[in-house]
Amino acid sequence: MTGLSPDPLDLGAVVAAVLDPEHGGVASFLGCIRREASQREVVAIEYEAYEELTLRELAAVADEAASRFGASVAAVHRTGRVAVGEPSVAVACSAPHRPAAFAACRYVIDELKVRAPIWKRMVYADGAAEWVDGRDGVRG
Amino acid sequence: MAEAISVTVRLFASLREAAGTDRLRVEVPYATPVGALWSHLPAGLSGTQPPAALRYALNHEWTLPGTPLRDGDEVALVMPVSGG
Repeated sequence: MTGLSPDPLDLGAVVAAVLDPEHGGVASFLGCIRREASQREVVAIEYEAYEELTLRELAAVADEAASRFGASVAAVHRTGRVAVGEPSVAVACSAPHRPAAFAACRYVIDELKVRAPIWKRMVYADGAAEWVDGRDGVRG
Repeated sequence: MAEAISVTVRLFASLREAAGTDRLRVEVPYATPVGALWSHLPAGLSGTQPPAALRYALNHEWTLPGTPLRDGDEVALVMPVSGG
């Protein structure tokens, strides 16, 4: 199960998607909005995805983790506005034993961050907001 | 003279906001390379330099700037992403 969601993420549902009686290890990861970014206070991040390519990349990363680690993979990324402290991405991986489950989970989140075309618009406590997409020297 | 073709350009994030739209139709000569599309963006954008790390997707698959365009193609300008 991989996808995008405009609604709050449900880690329980993401974990449930990879439960398997043959898999004794399940690892999960939540990425959440951190209050501080470049020494500024963040109140929310707005996510915008290039949906068609993001869905392809998520599916490809899940397939890669399945073949490398023998894992079942679920990964969902938020779109839209996510408040500080709330999760923006959820990953769960199951495998016969825990080393493969941890390794798959790490692989999926690291690859997803690099490969999924999803942009962030930082919304700051002082009312300012800016896209993090390489224009105007803005950094993430 | 090269035959003109029509392609769709998808825009996201600050590019979308600057252009005021998430997709543009542009007419270019047949076999124009993907990487030449930047100069066909609205005036406020085409006069600027594209980001060094700009990537391209052609019909929802990654492609290289030198790929020639055909009529009806859809190209996404994929600005650098800072994920998570």
